[in-house]
Amino acid sequence: MKVLAAFDWSFIWENRGQIWSGLKNTMKVAAIAIAGSFVIGLVLGAARAHRIPIVTQVGWIYVELIRNTPILVQIFLLHWAILPELGYAGDPFRTACLAITIWGGAFNTENFRAGFEAVPKSYREAGYALGFTPLRTFLNVTLPIGGRIALPSSINTYISVLKNTSLLLAIGYGELTTVANNIQALTFRTFEMFAVLAVVYLVLVWTLSGLIRLLESRLALPESR
Amino acid sequence: MPELPDWFRDVAEYILREGLPVTLKLAALAVTASLAIGLVLGTLITIRFRPLQAVIRLYIEVWRGLPILVTVLFIYWSATANVGNYRLELSAFLSAAVGLSLWGSAQVAEATRGAVQSIPREQHEAAAALGFGWVGRHAFVIVPQALRRLLPPLVGLLVNIIQNTTIAYVIGVSEVLETANRQFENLTLAGDGHPFAIFGFVLLVFFLISFPLTRLAAYLERRLI
Repeated sequence: MKVLAAFDWSFIWENRGQIWSGLKNTMKVAAIAIAGSFVIGLVLGAARAHRIPIVTQVGWIYVELIRNTPILVQIFLLHWAILPELGYAGDPFRTACLAITIWGGAFNTENFRAGFEAVPKSYREAGYALGFTPLRTFLNVTLPIGGRIALPSSINTYISVLKNTSLLLAIGYGELTTVANNIQALTFRTFEMFAVLAVVYLVLVWTLSGLIRLLESRLALPESR
Repeated sequence: MPELPDWFRDVAEYILREGLPVTLKLAALAVTASLAIGLVLGTLITIRFRPLQAVIRLYIEVWRGLPILVTVLFIYWSATANVGNYRLELSAFLSAAVGLSLWGSAQVAEATRGAVQSIPREQHEAAAALGFGWVGRHAFVIVPQALRRLLPPLVGLLVNIIQNTTIAYVIGVSEVLETANRQFENLTLAGDGHPFAIFGFVLLVFFLISFPLTRLAAYLERRLI
């Protein structure tokens, strides 16, 4: 028996149904987690940049806890301990969305906090001088400027969010890596399955990092052009 | 403080005695290899020779772009394959170490490139004037200065690699998460798995290792840059 068979394109085509459903699951979790971590990052980042009491301290604990522990352990804790305790045992999709969102939210909080803190204080004072309320000042001054500063690093976080969906293999959520792993376990079609994973992830990751470079030049603040 | 129950003492001891040394060994191996390969590649890419730059760039973008789990799985899948007439056998531990090193070396290479390019031209010229060749110039003058700027990101990388060793759980390496999960499964069969205590403990172990290191990285960044 020939152990290392020649690369077989038709094998990938024959399994397109499974691969496609895996890719859809990956994209579904990634999209939800990116949206969720955007909201968390924006709100907590703004709260931390403006030193809003209690929210700032709670946000700090949240960020440090998530950033200093492995996401795989977070997934386990959520899947086997926290969610069952709350009465939601056994749904990998729910764990997947929550775990990845919580992780991305922590990193995004730091991105947005850094972005908002990079806006010179005098800009905010100028907003107040025009009679803006603090909220209006944030929406009209700090957000447009700080948000632009935070954008590249937050897209970097979204790239990591996308890559981290592969870890959902550990709880058996049927995303792309899980599907490929299952197919390879049954058929030993190692190179075909790796080729699928490599192409999909690299195309997605490289597209997003290309987007960062594009946005960095398009959205650069006028004075830094 | 309440007495710790016996089962918890046993579990914690098992994780720390069996799992933690493997995690630390895996991290040490991956960090060493990442540094060695990354520093060399990151220095070589600063040479203005297009084909070499393209090859290193591809190495960096591929191993940085792929989820580490996908790299580790691919190496593990093909680890016991026959390649031509050679029988390639790699343990799960080494597969994980290689996978982590590919990712880590790509990170180090990218950081090194930036750090080496940030050293002023005069340093190159002064070293050349002293009679150093390309290798001596970089080994004794440029890279040592670049290392100073590299130190904070390298400490950050150490934290990342320690956390990412948990990915080895997926291929069955007896690291911290795997030993914890084993205990969780055993206790589940005996009635109560205590997922909160066990995975909470794992989270705490990683936090206690990572938090001081991230503080150190932040401190170094303030001091050195």
